[in-house]
Amino acid sequence: MKTAELEGHEEALITGLQAGNEADFQQAVRLYTPGMLAVARFYLDHANAEEVVQDCWVSVIGAIQKFEGRSGLKTWLHRIVANRCKNKLRSNKKEVATDFSATLDPELADRFNASGRWAVPPKLQFHDSADALMENDALSDCLDKHLSFLPETQRSALMLYEAHQHKSEDVCNILDVSTSNLRVLLHRARQRIFLMVETFQETGEC
Amino acid sequence: MLMCRDLAGIASDYIDGELGTTQKLSVKMHLMMCKDCRSFIGNLRASTDLMRAHSSGKPDPELIRRIDERVAEALQTRDSHDSKNE
Repeated sequence: MKTAELEGHEEALITGLQAGNEADFQQAVRLYTPGMLAVARFYLDHANAEEVVQDCWVSVIGAIQKFEGRSGLKTWLHRIVANRCKNKLRSNKKEVATDFSATLDPELADRFNASGRWAVPPKLQFHDSADALMENDALSDCLDKHLSFLPETQRSALMLYEAHQHKSEDVCNILDVSTSNLRVLLHRARQRIFLMVETFQETGEC
Repeated sequence: MLMCRDLAGIASDYIDGELGTTQKLSVKMHLMMCKDCRSFIGNLRASTDLMRAHSSGKPDPELIRRIDERVAEALQTRDSHDSKNE
């Protein structure tokens, strides 16, 4: 869909949500829940994240009346989830623990010699487009598996930035991280995905 | 001088256009001379595209069903409350 079409679609959806139209809620739930869950998983474990997302949808019924469209609907929903998660963490007196110190993945860092040149250079060969490659079920399953192994903080950052296409500034606001820490999270996550695809292509194993 | 290891550390910033002019120039100079780093940048970019295509945006059907139920219930409660107040 083109941007204008998307905007028109979102406007119609917001009007439906404000009118309390159940079908519009069902559509919005399907469209926005994966992103909301990615935000919640940055802060909370799986069960608590699902609970917060469910509660958020119920609170949206009232809150959508005050939605002024200063941000997009997706960003607004993601902020609601982030605020709820932060409140929950505060009440449980917990903090999100993340290591932002190392930019290079240890497995990749080991592939350079003492002078900083590649000792084991990258071996990946891409002949097909990403969409064509995703038709390979085994690769798709392998990606699923490795995405689930990523630390939650890295996965949420990657999902919001890549899959849900938020701007850096929005991701930083939603996840409450600095720009430099977001860069570390994204880079670490991408390196893991690269290493996974490389192993898969080389050995055929996940 | 920028080494391969240094470049690997800032490769995502380069891909996303987040580097300053001087650093970007150093990366470009290095890439002109280094086949392995060109390959790494290409690989990282392709892996990112792959992840975006995969995008794992599939909602869990059980969670969606639970949300639908709770939303329908909340909408009904709100409607019956509104009609009582009319």
